[in-house]
Amino acid sequence: MAHLALVSVSFAHAGNPACPGPGRAILDGASLQVPRGAFVLLTGPSGAGKSTLLRLFCRLEEPQTGQVLLDGQPVSALPPAQLRRRVSYLQQTPTVIPGSVRENLLLPFTFKAASGQTPPDDDALKELLASLAASDIPLDQEAATLSVGQRQRLCLVRALLTRPEVLLLDEPTSALDPESARAVLCAAESFCLEGGGTVILVSHAEFTPERVTPVPYTLCCGQLSGGQLSAGRLP
Amino acid sequence: MNGVINIDLWRLALALVFSLLAGGCSLALKLGLGRDIAIGTVRTIAQLFLMGWVLGIVFAVESPWLVLALFLAMAGAAAHTARGRVSEKAVHFAWPMYASMATVYLLVTITVTGAIVHAEPWWKPQYFLPIGGMVLGNSMNSVAVALDRLFSDLRARAASVEMQLCLGADAAEASADITRTAIRAGMIPSINSMMAVGLVSIPGMMTGQILGGSDPSQAIRYQIVVMLMIVGATALGSTLLTLIIRRRCFAPGDRPLLR
Repeated sequence: MAHLALVSVSFAHAGNPACPGPGRAILDGASLQVPRGAFVLLTGPSGAGKSTLLRLFCRLEEPQTGQVLLDGQPVSALPPAQLRRRVSYLQQTPTVIPGSVRENLLLPFTFKAASGQTPPDDDALKELLASLAASDIPLDQEAATLSVGQRQRLCLVRALLTRPEVLLLDEPTSALDPESARAVLCAAESFCLEGGGTVILVSHAEFTPERVTPVPYTLCCGQLSGGQLSAGRLP
Repeated sequence: MNGVINIDLWRLALALVFSLLAGGCSLALKLGLGRDIAIGTVRTIAQLFLMGWVLGIVFAVESPWLVLALFLAMAGAAAHTARGRVSEKAVHFAWPMYASMATVYLLVTITVTGAIVHAEPWWKPQYFLPIGGMVLGNSMNSVAVALDRLFSDLRARAASVEMQLCLGADAAEASADITRTAIRAGMIPSINSMMAVGLVSIPGMMTGQILGGSDPSQAIRYQIVVMLMIVGATALGSTLLTLIIRRRCFAPGDRPLLR
């Protein structure tokens, strides 16, 4: 059974600049199966709907037709908070709340969905930051004062603290310096290789993985192509 | 104490001098407000004459159902006015707004007339309608401010709301700060007016009672009740409405509708 799947999914919202004219669908009856532990690299022109595709998996968008499945179960059947802790979506622009780095990292533990979970202590947080080459970020520093690269690493650590099964990374390196980009991609590879998690990484830039063999897909004008895709029906 | 001095129609017409003065300013300084001043003047006169006529009938008939119907009509007008002040069109909130405003402010007004003023009966129109009108008029502004703030912040801080949802927050948790800010924004004007009352101006109800010949020591008691009632009503109204309408800003599955 696929870990994540799209079954004949169609989605459109008003005005898709990448596909002018009558065909303005982001997805047009697309199907996709992503096995557990896969590292999917999703590319396509700007505005094609790559982010929307990721948002469908964590139910920030709802398809007009078709189904989005997690472990064979429709994502719409899962409680949203539980789904989003299993399928973690990292926004393209790293977003922090007002407060310290520590407060930001512990934010997921303040929600009801985390009741009963023990928040990590400072040592564990520092260790996690160090694993993303972010040991230079003091826990007491105001998160808003961090650089974009530091914030992106903070956001990735925060997402990993929810122990997701799937990481949806939306152009995570687009605004980063090479060092930060390497750290983020390395963490994504580790999540996949060592943690057994599934990664879908959206990028319109070249991505040269060091340790994984990504399954490439391209999204353009409502159609997914590449990988093990069978457009319109499941293989 | 003498009774109230009546204003005959000719002397009332003299008050139009002030509207003409405002219109003259607009014309001289090219403010472009002439039309609004004219419409506002006509509406003020027409609406208040209509209200006077309706109140005359309601006071004469003395029926609780008529009093209630008039209160609900006033609540409808207040909800409609508040709705008009909120620019958001993507979220439908007219009916929940009307239902909440009518219910909350009805309960507050009944509490004041029945438990504090001890009007006999509690719906006595001479007490119920002016007090209800003050609750509605003041709370209408607070509700409009709170909702406008809620919608604009949900749009402006959409990325933060979405980020928290992605970390396992539910809609209420992800928008908790925004909700608090909106409720605060709705409540602050009535709290501020408590600070200034009696220092900057003699408030409306007290002015009316003093002009009507009441003892100032009684007039201030009424005004204290009114001020506290307004603070309570704005707190209740803006809290309840913000919480109800916040839910409508999210689709099933805790999907934010405002981005």
